[in-house]
Amino acid sequence: MMAGKYTHLDNQKVSGSVDSVPAVTDSGEVAIKFADSNLETFPPSQARGKISGGSRPPRDADDTFSKTSLGSDEAQPGGWFRSFTVDAYKPYFDVDTSDVLDRIKESLFPFKGSFTEKTASSPDLYGPFWICTTLIFVAAAIGTFVTYVAHELKNQEWNYDINLVTWSAGVFYGYVTIVPLGLYVILKYFSAPSGLVQLFCLYGYSLFVFIPALCLSVVPLEIFRWVIAGVAGFMSATFVALNLRAHIMSAGERWFFIVAAIFLLQVALSVVLKLYLFTVTV
Amino acid sequence: MSLTDTVPLHASSQSDIDEIENLINASVHSGPATVLPARPPSPPRAQIPPVWDTVKRDLSRIVSNLKLVVFPNPYREDPGKALRDWDLWGPFFFIVFLGLTLSWSASVKKSEVFAVAFAVLAAGAVILTLNVLLLGGQIIFFQSLSLLGYCLFPLDVGAVICLLKDNVILKVIVVCVTLAWSSWAAYPFMSSAVNPRRKALALYPVFLMYVSVGFLIIAID
Repeated sequence: MMAGKYTHLDNQKVSGSVDSVPAVTDSGEVAIKFADSNLETFPPSQARGKISGGSRPPRDADDTFSKTSLGSDEAQPGGWFRSFTVDAYKPYFDVDTSDVLDRIKESLFPFKGSFTEKTASSPDLYGPFWICTTLIFVAAAIGTFVTYVAHELKNQEWNYDINLVTWSAGVFYGYVTIVPLGLYVILKYFSAPSGLVQLFCLYGYSLFVFIPALCLSVVPLEIFRWVIAGVAGFMSATFVALNLRAHIMSAGERWFFIVAAIFLLQVALSVVLKLYLFTVTV
Repeated sequence: MSLTDTVPLHASSQSDIDEIENLINASVHSGPATVLPARPPSPPRAQIPPVWDTVKRDLSRIVSNLKLVVFPNPYREDPGKALRDWDLWGPFFFIVFLGLTLSWSASVKKSEVFAVAFAVLAAGAVILTLNVLLLGGQIIFFQSLSLLGYCLFPLDVGAVICLLKDNVILKVIVVCVTLAWSSWAAYPFMSSAVNPRRKALALYPVFLMYVSVGFLIIAID
């Protein structure tokens, strides 16, 4: 039986090698000792290879097989395989809590225009993704609440419409994915290229202002809601436009069209939200 | 050859080790040619299906994991100990149960409600784990999925209560309490997994997911 090889698992550190095992073994004494969590869970300190390489097979509990090939294995297997590993996207999440809060505050003051400088070196995708996800939830919640209140006030039957969630997910994720892509292509066409991730980052943070706007729209005054929608759309559009100023200016005479397109899209988003979520037919 | 246990084994792996030992002992005693079953064959009439043993073992593992994660106990602060013997049956059961409860309480579009609830919970657990990994945290993917699934237990309880009593005020109170309980259960694991400067970044999405599920529970009637 191979029990001898497994005698002192707990002595085998991460950098253990095959040689050290026989030297430590007591001859004749065969004891199966199972180190604390080696059977089913891998302690976090050994996790470096197991989690991050999504496309690689899991390593053995005692690293002896993979140790020799560890050096060469770190070189990624294929160029495009990399985009399926977690490691490929880690640089875009290299932000601290204070950074994210800072960037959110920037987005609330669109006329400063200093957002691009701050994020030039480390654009993050954490902000855009979670702002969108929060927006989906807030939009669904507020939309539901508004229709519920309207129905209750008139004592009418009301049923929860789950489509609000799926609809708002489609709108927000779609907007933040497709519009920056389109802008990226257009800017490239005008020889004023901007990084794609920077554009995602910019658009993601520009949507933050819709969260307070949606919360304020609970007030059941039609005109107030339209004002809020307009202001929010305008603010986020200004944020995007001012921060792209350098790129837009270097695009030549067509800059006006680009700015107009940006404004149009943001305000259209705002109007669509207002119409879909707050139009109550009772 | 003789085998000796020199190290106390973890309680929940005891049964696995016991069975392996029984097999080894049996083969040692009866010679290399035969391997005795773990228990002598019982008379045909009183056959206990062996699958019941597996189910019982899995159920006891689920219960013990649940007690470790969701209820106060001295091991909560140590994520290595808290869910060492993770499994995915418990989380699967809790997610499906929550989806079924929500679907039951919905008066229209029942299948859509189940689909959305299941998708949100399952994808949410995966995305939350990926979020921690991307922020540079050290967790084990499936262990984290397991933990997030177990932390749904309070929301399951809340959903059942809301199913039985259809009063809006009661629902809000029940959901708030169970939401706080779920967040409290998930907090030590998530916060210790990342760099302290990014703790809020890792915890906020967890809170967001539980709040949105809580909202679903309140809204669906």
